[in-house]
Amino acid sequence: MKKAVIRRAAAAVMILALTLALSVAAYASDGEYRTLDEIKDSGVINIGVFSDKSPFGYVDENGDYQGYDVYFANRIGEDLGVEVNFVSTEAASRIEYLQTGKVDIILANFTVTEERAEEVDFALPYMNVSLGVVSPEDAVIESLDDVGEDDQVIVISGTTAETYLTKNEPDIKLQKYDAYAEAKTALENGNGVAWANDNTEVMAFAIENPGFVVGIPTLGSADTIAPAVTKGNDTLLDWLNEEIKSLGEEEFFHADYEATLLDTYGADYEETLVVEGGLVAGAGETADAPVETAKAGG
Amino acid sequence: MDFEAIRSYLPLYWDALGLTVRIGWQGVALALALGVLCAVTLHLRLPVLRRLVAGYIELFRNTPLLVQLFFLYFALPKIGLRMSPAVCGVLGLGLLCGAYMAETIRSGLESIPPIQTESAQSLGMTRMQVFCHVILPQAVSRSVPGLVANVIFLLKETSVFSTVSLMDLMFTAKDLIGMYAKTMECLTLLVVFYLIMLLPVSVLGSLLERRLRHAEFGP
Repeated sequence: MKKAVIRRAAAAVMILALTLALSVAAYASDGEYRTLDEIKDSGVINIGVFSDKSPFGYVDENGDYQGYDVYFANRIGEDLGVEVNFVSTEAASRIEYLQTGKVDIILANFTVTEERAEEVDFALPYMNVSLGVVSPEDAVIESLDDVGEDDQVIVISGTTAETYLTKNEPDIKLQKYDAYAEAKTALENGNGVAWANDNTEVMAFAIENPGFVVGIPTLGSADTIAPAVTKGNDTLLDWLNEEIKSLGEEEFFHADYEATLLDTYGADYEETLVVEGGLVAGAGETADAPVETAKAGG
Repeated sequence: MDFEAIRSYLPLYWDALGLTVRIGWQGVALALALGVLCAVTLHLRLPVLRRLVAGYIELFRNTPLLVQLFFLYFALPKIGLRMSPAVCGVLGLGLLCGAYMAETIRSGLESIPPIQTESAQSLGMTRMQVFCHVILPQAVSRSVPGLVANVIFLLKETSVFSTVSLMDLMFTAKDLIGMYAKTMECLTLLVVFYLIMLLPVSVLGSLLERRLRHAEFGP
Protein backbone atom coordinates (compact mmCIF):
# COMPACT_ATOMS: atom_id res chain seq x y z
CA MET A 1 0.00 0.00 0.00
CA LYS A 2 2.74 2.38 1.00
CA LYS A 3 4.62 1.51 -2.12
CA ALA A 4 1.78 2.65 -4.32
CA VAL A 5 1.63 5.97 -2.50
CA ILE A 6 5.36 6.49 -2.78
CA ARG A 7 5.34 5.49 -6.43
CA ARG A 8 2.63 7.98 -7.23
CA ALA A 9 4.25 10.75 -5.22
CA ALA A 10 7.51 10.12 -7.05
CA ALA A 11 5.66 10.27 -10.33
CA ALA A 12 4.13 13.59 -9.29
CA VAL A 13 7.52 15.05 -8.45
CA MET A 14 8.86 13.89 -11.79
CA ILE A 15 5.95 15.48 -13.61
CA LEU A 16 6.50 18.72 -11.77
CA ALA A 17 10.21 18.73 -12.55
CA LEU A 18 9.41 18.07 -16.18
CA THR A 19 6.93 20.96 -16.28
CA LEU A 20 9.47 23.29 -14.78
CA ALA A 21 12.15 22.17 -17.19
CA LEU A 22 9.79 22.64 -20.12
CA SER A 23 8.68 26.07 -18.98
CA VAL A 24 12.27 27.15 -18.46
CA ALA A 25 13.04 25.90 -21.93
CA ALA A 26 10.05 27.84 -23.21
CA TYR A 27 11.36 30.91 -21.43
CA ALA A 28 14.77 30.52 -22.97
CA SER A 29 13.26 30.46 -26.43
CA ASP A 30 10.84 33.25 -25.56
CA GLY A 31 10.37 35.58 -28.48
CA GLU A 32 10.72 33.03 -31.22
CA TYR A 33 10.10 34.78 -34.51
CA ARG A 34 10.79 34.85 -38.23
CA THR A 35 12.51 37.87 -39.71
CA LEU A 36 11.15 39.69 -42.73
CA ASP A 37 13.53 37.85 -45.05
CA GLU A 38 12.63 34.47 -43.63
CA ILE A 39 8.96 35.19 -44.18
CA LYS A 40 9.58 36.30 -47.75
CA ASP A 41 11.70 33.22 -48.45
CA SER A 42 9.05 30.87 -47.10
CA GLY A 43 6.41 32.49 -49.28
CA VAL A 44 3.80 32.41 -46.51
CA ILE A 45 3.02 34.81 -43.69
CA ASN A 46 1.03 33.59 -40.69
CA ILE A 47 -1.39 36.21 -39.44
CA GLY A 48 -3.51 35.72 -36.34
CA VAL A 49 -7.05 37.07 -36.69
CA PHE A 50 -10.39 36.53 -35.01
CA SER A 51 -12.77 34.15 -36.67
CA ASP A 52 -15.85 35.18 -34.69
CA LYS A 53 -15.62 38.94 -34.37
CA SER A 54 -17.76 40.39 -37.10
CA PRO A 55 -17.16 42.80 -38.81
CA PHE A 56 -13.46 42.92 -37.92
CA GLY A 57 -12.35 39.35 -38.30
CA TYR A 58 -14.79 36.56 -39.07
CA VAL A 59 -15.37 33.62 -41.34
CA ASP A 60 -18.15 34.14 -43.86
CA GLU A 61 -20.66 31.58 -45.10
CA ASN A 62 -18.19 30.40 -47.75
CA GLY A 63 -15.53 29.69 -45.14
CA ASP A 64 -13.41 32.70 -46.13
CA TYR A 65 -11.93 35.15 -43.66
CA GLN A 66 -13.47 38.61 -43.92
CA GLY A 67 -13.47 41.92 -42.08
CA TYR A 68 -11.56 45.11 -41.40
CA ASP A 69 -8.51 43.34 -39.98
CA VAL A 70 -8.56 40.69 -42.67
CA TYR A 71 -8.75 43.29 -45.45
CA PHE A 72 -5.53 44.80 -44.06
CA ALA A 73 -3.94 41.37 -43.66
CA ASN A 74 -4.60 40.55 -47.30
CA ARG A 75 -2.95 43.80 -48.33
CA ILE A 76 0.10 42.96 -46.22
CA GLY A 77 0.40 39.63 -48.00
CA GLU A 78 0.03 41.32 -51.37
CA ASP A 79 2.70 43.94 -50.65
CA LEU A 80 5.11 41.38 -49.23
CA GLY A 81 4.50 39.11 -52.19
CA VAL A 82 3.58 36.16 -50.01
CA GLU A 83 0.51 34.10 -49.31
CA VAL A 84 -1.46 34.81 -46.15
CA ASN A 85 -2.16 31.91 -43.84
CA PHE A 86 -4.90 32.98 -41.42
CA VAL A 87 -4.68 31.56 -37.94
CA SER A 88 -7.80 31.85 -35.82
CA THR A 89 -7.08 33.17 -32.31
CA GLU A 90 -8.97 33.74 -29.11
CA ALA A 91 -8.65 36.99 -27.24
CA ALA A 92 -6.68 35.50 -24.36
CA SER A 93 -4.13 33.65 -26.48
CA ARG A 94 -3.02 36.46 -28.77
CA ILE A 95 0.20 37.18 -26.88
CA GLU A 96 1.11 33.49 -26.63
CA TYR A 97 0.67 32.99 -30.36
CA LEU A 98 3.31 35.64 -30.98
CA GLN A 99 5.67 34.55 -28.24
CA THR A 100 5.72 30.97 -29.41
CA GLY A 101 6.14 31.93 -33.05
CA LYS A 102 2.82 30.41 -34.15
CA VAL A 103 2.01 33.60 -36.01
CA ASP A 104 4.17 36.38 -37.43
CA ILE A 105 1.65 39.16 -36.91
CA ILE A 106 -1.44 39.50 -34.73
CA LEU A 107 -4.15 41.47 -36.47
CA ALA A 108 -6.94 40.45 -34.15
CA ASN A 109 -8.29 43.85 -33.16
CA PHE A 110 -5.51 44.10 -30.63
CA THR A 111 -5.82 47.16 -28.37
CA VAL A 112 -2.52 48.77 -27.42
CA THR A 113 -1.99 48.69 -23.64
CA GLU A 114 1.02 49.15 -21.42
CA GLU A 115 0.86 45.59 -20.10
CA ARG A 116 0.73 44.11 -23.57
CA ALA A 117 3.50 46.39 -24.84
CA GLU A 118 5.81 44.73 -22.33
CA GLU A 119 5.20 41.37 -23.98
CA VAL A 120 4.90 42.21 -27.68
CA ASP A 121 5.89 45.02 -30.03
CA PHE A 122 3.07 47.12 -31.45
CA ALA A 123 3.32 48.75 -34.85
CA LEU A 124 1.57 52.03 -35.68
CA PRO A 125 -2.16 52.09 -34.96
CA TYR A 126 -4.83 51.67 -37.64
CA MET A 127 -8.01 52.13 -35.62
CA ASN A 128 -9.42 53.98 -32.61
CA VAL A 129 -11.30 52.20 -29.91
CA SER A 130 -12.81 52.70 -26.50
CA LEU A 131 -14.88 50.45 -24.27
CA GLY A 132 -18.66 50.27 -24.42
CA VAL A 133 -21.49 48.43 -22.69
CA VAL A 134 -24.54 46.95 -24.42
CA SER A 135 -27.67 45.79 -22.63
CA PRO A 136 -31.27 44.79 -23.40
CA GLU A 137 -33.48 47.80 -24.14
CA ASP A 138 -35.99 46.92 -21.43
CA ALA A 139 -33.27 47.10 -18.75
CA VAL A 140 -30.68 49.47 -20.12
CA ILE A 141 -27.44 49.90 -18.22
CA GLU A 142 -26.57 53.57 -18.73
CA SER A 143 -23.88 53.80 -16.10
CA LEU A 144 -21.92 51.21 -14.19
CA ASP A 145 -23.87 52.31 -11.09
CA ASP A 146 -26.94 50.67 -12.67
CA VAL A 147 -25.32 47.28 -12.24
CA GLY A 148 -26.92 45.68 -9.19
CA GLU A 149 -25.09 43.82 -6.47
CA ASP A 150 -26.06 40.39 -7.77
CA ASP A 151 -25.98 41.28 -11.44
CA GLN A 152 -23.31 39.88 -13.67
CA VAL A 153 -21.65 41.70 -16.51
CA ILE A 154 -20.47 39.57 -19.41
CA VAL A 155 -16.88 40.04 -20.56
CA ILE A 156 -14.53 38.09 -22.76
CA SER A 157 -11.45 36.68 -21.13
CA GLY A 158 -8.29 38.49 -22.14
CA THR A 159 -9.92 41.71 -23.40
CA THR A 160 -9.28 45.27 -22.28
CA ALA A 161 -12.84 45.42 -20.93
CA GLU A 162 -12.04 42.62 -18.52
CA THR A 163 -8.84 44.27 -17.34
CA TYR A 164 -10.54 47.65 -17.00
CA LEU A 165 -13.45 46.34 -14.91
CA THR A 166 -11.23 44.11 -12.79
CA LYS A 167 -9.00 47.06 -11.98
CA ASN A 168 -11.47 49.90 -11.67
CA GLU A 169 -14.74 48.24 -10.67
CA PRO A 170 -13.72 45.31 -8.48
CA ASP A 171 -17.23 45.08 -7.00
CA ILE A 172 -18.92 44.30 -10.29
CA LYS A 173 -19.32 40.57 -10.80
CA LEU A 174 -17.99 39.42 -14.13
CA GLN A 175 -19.23 36.48 -16.15
CA LYS A 176 -16.33 35.47 -18.34
CA TYR A 177 -16.33 33.66 -21.66
CA ASP A 178 -13.59 32.43 -23.95
CA ALA A 179 -15.06 33.38 -27.27
CA TYR A 180 -17.17 36.14 -28.79
CA ALA A 181 -19.79 33.72 -30.04
CA GLU A 182 -20.44 32.40 -26.53
CA ALA A 183 -20.56 35.83 -24.93
CA LYS A 184 -23.08 37.02 -27.50
CA THR A 185 -25.31 34.00 -27.05
CA ALA A 186 -25.10 34.43 -23.28
CA LEU A 187 -26.25 38.04 -23.59
CA GLU A 188 -29.12 37.04 -25.89
CA ASN A 189 -30.15 34.37 -23.42
CA GLY A 190 -30.11 36.90 -20.59
CA ASN A 191 -27.38 35.21 -18.58
CA GLY A 192 -25.91 38.60 -17.73
CA VAL A 193 -27.35 42.10 -17.45
CA ALA A 194 -24.93 43.62 -19.95
CA TRP A 195 -21.89 42.94 -22.07
CA ALA A 196 -18.78 45.11 -21.81
CA ASN A 197 -16.31 45.06 -24.68
CA ASP A 198 -14.70 47.30 -27.28
CA ASN A 199 -17.32 49.89 -28.18
CA THR A 200 -17.00 49.06 -31.87
CA GLU A 201 -18.01 45.53 -31.10
CA VAL A 202 -20.96 46.33 -28.83
CA MET A 203 -22.25 48.90 -31.34
CA ALA A 204 -22.13 46.28 -34.07
CA PHE A 205 -23.99 43.88 -31.81
CA ALA A 206 -26.72 46.42 -31.02
CA ILE A 207 -27.15 47.22 -34.71
CA GLU A 208 -27.43 43.56 -35.67
CA ASN A 209 -29.63 42.55 -32.75
CA PRO A 210 -32.83 44.52 -32.31
CA GLY A 211 -33.79 44.75 -28.65
CA PHE A 212 -30.32 45.69 -27.50
CA VAL A 213 -28.91 49.18 -27.06
CA VAL A 214 -25.51 50.56 -26.19
CA GLY A 215 -26.25 52.30 -22.87
CA ILE A 216 -22.62 53.28 -22.29
CA PRO A 217 -20.94 54.23 -25.59
CA THR A 218 -17.56 55.13 -24.12
CA LEU A 219 -15.92 53.95 -20.95
CA GLY A 220 -12.39 54.34 -19.68
CA SER A 221 -9.68 55.82 -21.83
CA ALA A 222 -9.57 56.12 -25.58
CA ASP A 223 -7.19 53.58 -27.03
CA THR A 224 -5.88 52.50 -30.37
CA ILE A 225 -5.69 49.21 -32.19
CA ALA A 226 -2.47 48.19 -33.88
CA PRO A 227 -0.77 45.16 -35.41
CA ALA A 228 1.57 43.37 -33.04
CA VAL A 229 4.70 41.33 -33.71
CA THR A 230 6.88 39.19 -31.47
CA LYS A 231 9.07 41.28 -29.19
CA GLY A 232 12.35 42.01 -30.90
CA ASN A 233 11.22 41.26 -34.45
CA ASP A 234 12.46 44.65 -35.65
CA THR A 235 12.72 43.88 -39.36
CA LEU A 236 9.04 42.99 -39.55
CA LEU A 237 8.04 45.85 -37.23
CA ASP A 238 9.89 48.44 -39.32
CA TRP A 239 8.40 47.09 -42.50
CA LEU A 240 4.89 47.23 -41.00
CA ASN A 241 5.37 50.81 -39.85
CA GLU A 242 6.55 51.86 -43.30
CA GLU A 243 3.66 49.99 -44.83
CA ILE A 244 1.11 51.73 -42.61
CA LYS A 245 2.63 55.13 -43.38
CA SER A 246 2.61 54.56 -47.11
CA LEU A 247 -0.91 53.13 -47.02
CA GLY A 248 -1.94 56.41 -45.39
CA GLU A 249 -1.06 58.25 -48.58
CA GLU A 250 -3.62 56.31 -50.54
CA GLU A 251 -6.15 56.46 -47.67
CA PHE A 252 -6.16 52.70 -47.53
CA PHE A 253 -7.94 52.39 -44.19
CA HIS A 254 -10.79 54.58 -45.38
CA ALA A 255 -11.19 52.19 -48.27
CA ASP A 256 -10.98 49.32 -45.79
CA TYR A 257 -13.71 50.93 -43.68
CA GLU A 258 -15.93 51.44 -46.69
CA ALA A 259 -15.46 47.85 -47.80
CA THR A 260 -15.96 46.14 -44.47
CA LEU A 261 -17.46 48.41 -41.81
CA LEU A 262 -19.77 50.75 -43.70
CA ASP A 263 -22.65 48.28 -43.70
CA THR A 264 -22.51 47.96 -39.95
CA TYR A 265 -21.69 51.43 -38.72
CA GLY A 266 -22.71 53.71 -41.56
CA ALA A 267 -20.64 56.68 -42.68
CA ASP A 268 -20.91 58.56 -39.38
CA TYR A 269 -18.27 56.60 -37.58
CA GLU A 270 -15.69 56.56 -40.36
CA GLU A 271 -13.60 59.44 -39.06
CA THR A 272 -14.07 58.31 -35.47
CA LEU A 273 -12.75 54.84 -36.05
CA VAL A 274 -10.21 55.03 -38.83
CA VAL A 275 -6.60 55.93 -38.12
CA GLU A 276 -4.69 56.71 -41.31
CA GLY A 277 -0.93 56.51 -41.68
CA GLY A 278 -0.49 55.67 -38.00
CA LEU A 279 -1.42 59.21 -36.99
CA VAL A 280 -4.06 59.47 -34.30
CA ALA A 281 -5.94 62.56 -35.40
CA GLY A 282 -6.73 63.74 -31.91
CA ALA A 283 -10.35 64.55 -32.70
CA GLY A 284 -12.91 62.95 -34.94
CA GLU A 285 -15.95 64.65 -36.34
CA THR A 286 -18.67 62.84 -34.46
CA ALA A 287 -19.72 64.09 -31.06
CA ASP A 288 -18.88 60.94 -29.15
CA ALA A 289 -15.48 60.54 -30.73
CA PRO A 290 -12.85 59.34 -28.31
CA VAL A 291 -11.03 62.65 -28.26
CA GLU A 292 -7.97 62.60 -26.11
CA THR A 293 -5.53 59.76 -26.46
CA ALA A 294 -4.78 59.63 -22.78
CA LYS A 295 -2.83 56.90 -21.07
CA ALA A 296 -2.86 53.54 -22.73
CA GLY A 297 -4.46 51.66 -19.87
CA GLY A 298 -7.89 50.08 -19.95
CA MET B 1 9.66 32.77 -12.27
CA ASP B 2 7.87 35.73 -10.74
CA PHE B 3 7.04 34.53 -7.24
CA GLU B 4 5.31 37.77 -6.37
CA ALA B 5 2.84 37.10 -9.17
CA ILE B 6 2.40 33.49 -8.11
CA ARG B 7 1.54 34.58 -4.59
CA SER B 8 -1.03 37.05 -5.84
CA TYR B 9 -2.62 34.41 -8.10
CA LEU B 10 -2.86 31.74 -5.41
CA PRO B 11 -6.23 32.80 -3.94
CA LEU B 12 -7.77 32.67 -7.41
CA TYR B 13 -6.41 29.18 -7.97
CA TRP B 14 -7.75 28.00 -4.60
CA ASP B 15 -11.18 29.39 -5.53
CA ALA B 16 -11.00 27.60 -8.85
CA LEU B 17 -9.94 24.37 -7.18
CA GLY B 18 -12.87 24.69 -4.78
CA LEU B 19 -15.30 25.15 -7.64
CA THR B 20 -13.82 22.35 -9.69
CA VAL B 21 -13.90 19.91 -6.77
CA ARG B 22 -17.41 20.92 -5.72
CA ILE B 23 -18.92 20.53 -9.16
CA GLY B 24 -16.71 17.55 -9.91
CA TRP B 25 -17.89 15.55 -6.93
CA GLN B 26 -21.53 16.36 -7.46
CA GLY B 27 -21.01 15.16 -11.00
CA VAL B 28 -19.34 11.97 -9.74
CA ALA B 29 -22.23 11.27 -7.37
CA LEU B 30 -24.76 11.74 -10.15
CA ALA B 31 -22.69 9.65 -12.54
CA LEU B 32 -22.36 6.77 -10.07
CA ALA B 33 -26.07 6.74 -9.32
CA LEU B 34 -26.93 6.83 -13.01
CA GLY B 35 -24.28 4.26 -13.82
CA VAL B 36 -25.54 1.72 -11.29
CA LEU B 37 -29.17 2.18 -12.35
CA CYS B 38 -28.35 1.85 -16.02
CA ALA B 39 -26.02 -1.11 -15.60
CA VAL B 40 -28.57 -3.01 -13.52
CA THR B 41 -31.28 -2.22 -16.05
CA LEU B 42 -29.12 -3.59 -18.83
CA HIS B 43 -28.00 -6.61 -16.87
CA LEU B 44 -31.50 -7.63 -15.83
CA ARG B 45 -32.71 -6.95 -19.38
CA LEU B 46 -35.70 -4.96 -18.19
CA PRO B 47 -38.04 -4.45 -21.16
CA VAL B 48 -38.41 -0.96 -22.71
CA LEU B 49 -36.18 0.65 -20.03
CA ARG B 50 -33.30 -1.30 -21.49
CA ARG B 51 -33.74 0.40 -24.87
CA LEU B 52 -33.95 3.84 -23.28
CA VAL B 53 -30.79 3.21 -21.30
CA ALA B 54 -28.93 1.95 -24.36
CA GLY B 55 -29.98 5.09 -26.23
CA TYR B 56 -28.82 7.34 -23.41
CA ILE B 57 -25.45 5.61 -23.19
CA GLU B 58 -24.77 5.85 -26.90
CA LEU B 59 -25.89 9.47 -27.03
CA PHE B 60 -23.63 10.64 -24.23
CA ARG B 61 -20.64 8.43 -24.92
CA ASN B 62 -20.45 9.59 -28.49
CA THR B 63 -20.70 13.34 -28.00
CA PRO B 64 -18.02 15.48 -26.35
CA LEU B 65 -18.72 17.18 -23.03
CA LEU B 66 -18.14 20.52 -24.72
CA VAL B 67 -21.06 19.89 -27.06
CA GLN B 68 -23.28 18.71 -24.22
CA LEU B 69 -22.50 21.82 -22.18
CA PHE B 70 -23.18 24.05 -25.17
CA PHE B 71 -26.51 22.36 -25.61
CA LEU B 72 -27.49 22.56 -21.95
CA TYR B 73 -26.38 26.15 -21.49
CA PHE B 74 -26.98 27.86 -24.80
CA ALA B 75 -29.67 25.85 -26.58
CA LEU B 76 -32.10 24.90 -23.82
CA PRO B 77 -32.78 28.52 -22.75
CA LYS B 78 -34.21 29.08 -26.25
CA ILE B 79 -37.02 26.70 -25.34
CA GLY B 80 -37.37 28.26 -21.92
CA LEU B 81 -35.30 25.89 -19.84
CA ARG B 82 -32.74 28.00 -18.05
CA MET B 83 -30.12 26.54 -15.75
CA SER B 84 -27.24 28.17 -13.90
CA PRO B 85 -23.71 27.44 -15.14
CA ALA B 86 -23.05 25.29 -12.08
CA VAL B 87 -26.14 23.14 -12.66
CA CYS B 88 -25.16 22.72 -16.30
CA GLY B 89 -21.69 21.68 -15.19
CA VAL B 90 -22.96 19.05 -12.78
CA LEU B 91 -25.55 17.74 -15.24
CA GLY B 92 -23.10 17.64 -18.11
CA LEU B 93 -20.46 15.80 -16.12
CA GLY B 94 -22.98 13.48 -14.48
CA LEU B 95 -24.71 12.52 -17.71
CA LEU B 96 -21.48 12.07 -19.65
CA CYS B 97 -19.75 10.05 -17.02
CA GLY B 98 -22.91 8.16 -16.06
CA ALA B 99 -22.72 6.56 -19.49
CA TYR B 100 -19.12 5.52 -18.89
CA MET B 101 -19.89 4.29 -15.38
CA ALA B 102 -22.77 2.21 -16.69
CA GLU B 103 -20.55 0.46 -19.19
CA THR B 104 -17.83 -0.12 -16.60
CA ILE B 105 -20.25 -1.63 -14.10
CA ARG B 106 -21.95 -3.70 -16.80
CA SER B 107 -18.61 -5.17 -17.81
CA GLY B 108 -18.04 -6.02 -14.15
CA LEU B 109 -21.45 -7.71 -13.98
CA GLU B 110 -20.85 -9.67 -17.14
CA SER B 111 -17.44 -10.83 -16.06
CA ILE B 112 -19.05 -13.09 -13.45
CA PRO B 113 -19.36 -16.53 -15.09
CA PRO B 114 -22.97 -17.72 -15.65
CA ILE B 115 -22.17 -20.93 -13.79
CA GLN B 116 -22.32 -18.94 -10.56
CA THR B 117 -25.87 -17.84 -11.31
CA GLU B 118 -26.84 -21.38 -12.22
CA SER B 119 -25.24 -22.83 -9.09
CA ALA B 120 -26.89 -20.24 -6.86
CA GLN B 121 -30.26 -20.86 -8.48
CA SER B 122 -29.88 -24.61 -8.05
CA LEU B 123 -29.39 -23.91 -4.35
CA GLY B 124 -32.84 -22.37 -4.37
CA MET B 125 -31.95 -18.67 -4.33
CA THR B 126 -34.36 -16.31 -6.06
CA ARG B 127 -33.24 -14.20 -8.99
CA MET B 128 -32.99 -11.12 -6.76
CA GLN B 129 -31.01 -12.98 -4.12
CA VAL B 130 -28.57 -14.24 -6.71
CA PHE B 131 -28.08 -10.75 -8.02
CA CYS B 132 -27.69 -9.01 -4.66
CA HIS B 133 -25.62 -11.59 -2.81
CA VAL B 134 -23.61 -13.32 -5.48
CA ILE B 135 -23.19 -11.22 -8.60
CA LEU B 136 -23.22 -7.60 -7.42
CA PRO B 137 -20.53 -7.76 -4.70
CA GLN B 138 -18.07 -9.41 -7.04
CA ALA B 139 -18.97 -7.15 -9.93
CA VAL B 140 -18.44 -4.02 -7.85
CA SER B 141 -15.02 -5.10 -6.70
CA ARG B 142 -14.02 -5.95 -10.26
CA SER B 143 -15.29 -2.61 -11.53
CA VAL B 144 -13.39 -0.47 -9.07
CA PRO B 145 -10.25 0.15 -11.14
CA GLY B 146 -12.41 1.22 -14.06
CA LEU B 147 -14.61 3.36 -11.86
CA VAL B 148 -11.64 5.17 -10.33
CA ALA B 149 -10.27 5.79 -13.80
CA ASN B 150 -13.66 7.24 -14.75
CA VAL B 151 -13.65 9.55 -11.73
CA ILE B 152 -10.24 10.91 -12.65
CA PHE B 153 -11.31 11.28 -16.25
CA LEU B 154 -14.42 13.15 -15.17
CA LEU B 155 -12.56 15.53 -12.87
CA LYS B 156 -10.21 16.37 -15.72
CA GLU B 157 -13.10 16.99 -18.08
CA THR B 158 -13.94 20.06 -15.98
CA SER B 159 -11.31 21.83 -18.07
CA VAL B 160 -13.93 22.65 -20.71
CA PHE B 161 -16.10 24.54 -18.24
CA SER B 162 -14.96 27.89 -19.60
CA THR B 163 -17.69 27.47 -22.22
CA VAL B 164 -20.35 28.07 -19.61
CA SER B 165 -18.36 30.78 -17.83
CA LEU B 166 -17.41 28.63 -14.85
CA MET B 167 -14.05 29.72 -13.46
CA ASP B 168 -12.48 26.28 -13.17
CA LEU B 169 -8.72 25.75 -12.94
CA MET B 170 -8.09 25.77 -16.67
CA PHE B 171 -10.13 28.90 -17.32
CA THR B 172 -8.56 30.72 -14.38
CA ALA B 173 -5.11 30.01 -15.76
CA LYS B 174 -6.07 31.07 -19.28
CA ASP B 175 -7.78 34.16 -17.98
CA LEU B 176 -4.75 35.25 -15.95
CA ILE B 177 -2.47 34.62 -18.91
CA GLY B 178 -4.75 36.77 -21.05
CA MET B 179 -4.64 39.63 -18.55
CA TYR B 180 -1.07 39.57 -17.29
CA ALA B 181 0.78 37.36 -19.80
CA LYS B 182 2.73 35.46 -17.10
CA THR B 183 2.44 32.23 -19.02
CA MET B 184 5.03 30.14 -17.26
CA GLU B 185 3.83 31.01 -13.76
CA CYS B 186 0.18 30.41 -14.59
CA LEU B 187 0.73 27.09 -16.33
CA THR B 188 3.03 25.76 -13.62
CA LEU B 189 0.44 26.63 -11.00
CA LEU B 190 -2.16 24.91 -13.16
CA VAL B 191 -0.23 21.65 -13.21
CA VAL B 192 0.42 21.83 -9.47
CA PHE B 193 -3.25 22.42 -8.72
CA TYR B 194 -4.45 19.58 -10.93
CA LEU B 195 -2.04 17.33 -9.07
CA ILE B 196 -3.32 18.59 -5.72
CA MET B 197 -6.81 17.66 -6.86
CA LEU B 198 -6.14 14.36 -8.58
CA LEU B 199 -3.24 12.69 -6.77
CA PRO B 200 -5.32 12.00 -3.64
CA VAL B 201 -8.05 10.47 -5.81
CA SER B 202 -5.51 8.31 -7.53
CA VAL B 203 -3.94 7.17 -4.26
CA LEU B 204 -7.28 6.59 -2.53
CA GLY B 205 -8.39 4.66 -5.58
CA SER B 206 -5.51 2.24 -5.36
CA LEU B 207 -6.05 1.79 -1.61
CA LEU B 208 -9.72 1.07 -2.20
CA GLU B 209 -8.87 -1.36 -4.96
CA ARG B 210 -6.51 -3.32 -2.73
CA ARG B 211 -9.03 -3.41 0.06
CA LEU B 212 -11.79 -4.76 -2.17
CA ARG B 213 -9.55 -7.24 -3.90
CA HIS B 214 -8.58 -8.46 -0.46
CA ALA B 215 -12.23 -9.22 0.19
CA GLU B 216 -12.53 -10.97 -3.14
CA PHE B 217 -9.43 -13.10 -3.18
CA GLY B 218 -8.28 -13.24 0.42
CA PRO B 219 -4.87 -12.10 1.68
